[in-house]
Amino acid sequence: MVNTLAPEPTGRAPVPRSAGASGSAGGGSGRIRHRHRHRQAVVACLFLAPTLLFYVVFLALPLGFALLLSLSRWAGFDLGDIEPAGLDNFAGLFADGSTFLVPVLSNTLLFALGTVALALAGSVLVATCIEKLRRQGLWRTLYFLPILTTVVAVGNVWKYMYEPGGLVNGVLNALGLGSVAFLQDADTALPSLVVVQAWASLGSAILVLTAGLKSVPESYYEAAALDGAGPVTVFWRITLPLLRPSLLFVCVTQFLTGLQSFALIIVMTGGGPGDATDVAALEMYRQAFSYGEWGTASAAAFVLFLVVLAVTLAQLWFFRRKGEDA
Amino acid sequence: MTPPPRGTGRLSRRLALALPAALLVSGCAAPHRGTGRPGDPIVLTLLSHYASGVLREALQGPVDEWNATHDRVKVRTLAVEFTDLLTTFMVRQAAGQGADIVHPYCLWNGQLVRAGVLRPAPPEHAEEIRRGYGEAAVGAASVGGTVYGYPTEAQTYALYYNKRLLRAAGVDGPPRTWRELEDTAYRTTRRDRYGNTLVQGFGLSVYDDSTTVGQTLALLNAAGGRFVSADGRSTALDSPAGRAVFGLERRLVAEGASDPGVNVYQAFASGRVAMVISAGWWTGSLRAVMGGAYRDVGVAPVPVPRAGDPRATLSTGFMLGVNTASAHPREAWEFLRWLNTEKTRGKRGTPATRMSALQVAAGSLTARADDMRTLLGTGGDPNLHPFLDALAYAVPEPNGPGAQAAKSLLRKNIEALWTGQQSVTEALRAIRRQVDQEVARSW
Repeated sequence: MVNTLAPEPTGRAPVPRSAGASGSAGGGSGRIRHRHRHRQAVVACLFLAPTLLFYVVFLALPLGFALLLSLSRWAGFDLGDIEPAGLDNFAGLFADGSTFLVPVLSNTLLFALGTVALALAGSVLVATCIEKLRRQGLWRTLYFLPILTTVVAVGNVWKYMYEPGGLVNGVLNALGLGSVAFLQDADTALPSLVVVQAWASLGSAILVLTAGLKSVPESYYEAAALDGAGPVTVFWRITLPLLRPSLLFVCVTQFLTGLQSFALIIVMTGGGPGDATDVAALEMYRQAFSYGEWGTASAAAFVLFLVVLAVTLAQLWFFRRKGEDA
Repeated sequence: MTPPPRGTGRLSRRLALALPAALLVSGCAAPHRGTGRPGDPIVLTLLSHYASGVLREALQGPVDEWNATHDRVKVRTLAVEFTDLLTTFMVRQAAGQGADIVHPYCLWNGQLVRAGVLRPAPPEHAEEIRRGYGEAAVGAASVGGTVYGYPTEAQTYALYYNKRLLRAAGVDGPPRTWRELEDTAYRTTRRDRYGNTLVQGFGLSVYDDSTTVGQTLALLNAAGGRFVSADGRSTALDSPAGRAVFGLERRLVAEGASDPGVNVYQAFASGRVAMVISAGWWTGSLRAVMGGAYRDVGVAPVPVPRAGDPRATLSTGFMLGVNTASAHPREAWEFLRWLNTEKTRGKRGTPATRMSALQVAAGSLTARADDMRTLLGTGGDPNLHPFLDALAYAVPEPNGPGAQAAKSLLRKNIEALWTGQQSVTEALRAIRRQVDQEVARSW
């Protein structure tokens, strides 16, 4: 088998470049080079084919199908029953009386924003503390453990902890405070979920931020110490600005995770009480798999996609203004 | 979400199939339906939610018996958990692998009929079903007056109560009217100084759709109300009966006699709920979980608003129907007739259909009241009798095309009412608006 991607042999005798021979010889070598490049391209395509096929089957086709469904009505049973609906599904999402914008989309954004804010603040604090401790690997591992636990287990454990007779209320009662119906009260249900999601995602954020902290040159801290800067000044003036690339990464990934959150919410509240914790992914699932409204679900998915895209672009723009390259 | 209006035309089948076809090709092998060679048996597939425990074994018994005694037609069971059942119907049907015989929750019947999944029962089977089953069971297995399958189990709702807790509160017996229900609930409720519930007087629960909505609809039916109108095209909840039920539930929560956040299934079994409305299937679970403490459990009909009011409650159920995509509908109906109508003498020597015997053996209720009475007479749980009696007056759960969505919307608004997000009037109005919109879209 000939390796067509291998470089051309260098030991070949140089072709004489006389004026008379240049036309035919140059044309011949050009054709050879062209054929050679063509063969290289074919082989490259063959090597890329499995990956491209993967993307086509698992990305392009589902995306195309979702787009088709967002412009159709389909009950989910017979592919032959797909009926065109134009933009009706999108119009329905934003029609008067629709719950999609409020509370579904607003809950989704609040959940994602709350998660990012809490996880970011917590992970910066913890990562900075870990930097000052001995056995940093052990601490990082401990904080990373929730990532290894399934969301269902995390959700159920926290659900029991939040219950009226659970651990959290037990602590409150021990402090002489009354019990709080964390997941049963519409005012506290969403914030309670935010705390769990932030806790669950703390580990990965800490991992990224500790790596970011390690990349900050020690000389900056030494110079700051010589200038008599206190720990707070050092943190605000040196640590935080130099952590910006890591913060951007954590911010974007946590926000995307928050916007698409589903499993934790279905385990802990199922979207309730009422629709106090109903989010876009949960509503899409219900519309498609429970109500057989695949068109509405697909339209909602595309709207969520646009929201995710807009928020991500806004985050990138904001950080780029501050001089960070994504 | 607000529904879009229905489209009028259809994309050509070719266009509709073009995109997903490639997706499906990779994962879809032809379903096992026998070899197709002349003389080889036909293999019917039966998809149900009897995926584990006694129900799985109970169904497999008659299926094995059929396979042992029938050479030409064999039956193969497929089972998934109930939570995955509707999704599995969808995915298999879309992939061309729909089972020959399906076992849906009757709530979905309208949705399945609209999607063209369920085949109407042939006239002789429809006649047999109408003759052999009660009104509630036939109603649950029908959509728009057309019968679509054999009812398998019927779940009616009644009041479970803890005799010990009622006695401790000085109450002699279960309440029969709403006034007695409220009084008993308040008397049995106990909380600690931090507001934690020690004993719920009346267990309202947000555990799942069926629990939340089932409790409310049972009380609504007992008050003479209905969730949807007779033709199934609009909600009828915004009525004096609906207002009375919502008022009662709101008072119970506000006064602390109900704590909807508590898992009522665990709390009742551990003696922390005095009364709760639930379906008959729970007796079997309670007996297993509570052991000796089960003797404290009593069951009574759902209380009515005033003494002398006619009894009514909610009934839900499952049925066995035949898929429109089945290549062997005649054989499938024949199997269902054999399973659901032929009376045999089982282990107890009591004549009953195979389906009735398997339901009662699994601690559930058969949709055939006569079988249930016969089988219970031979030493069944006396707590099942109120559920059996209720088959005569129960109202079937609405099962029109948008029933699942309507139920979820009802649940959301009930939860909003219980948690004080909505007043009784606001909740009733929101339900009317949202459910009417959903139902209108589905028809």
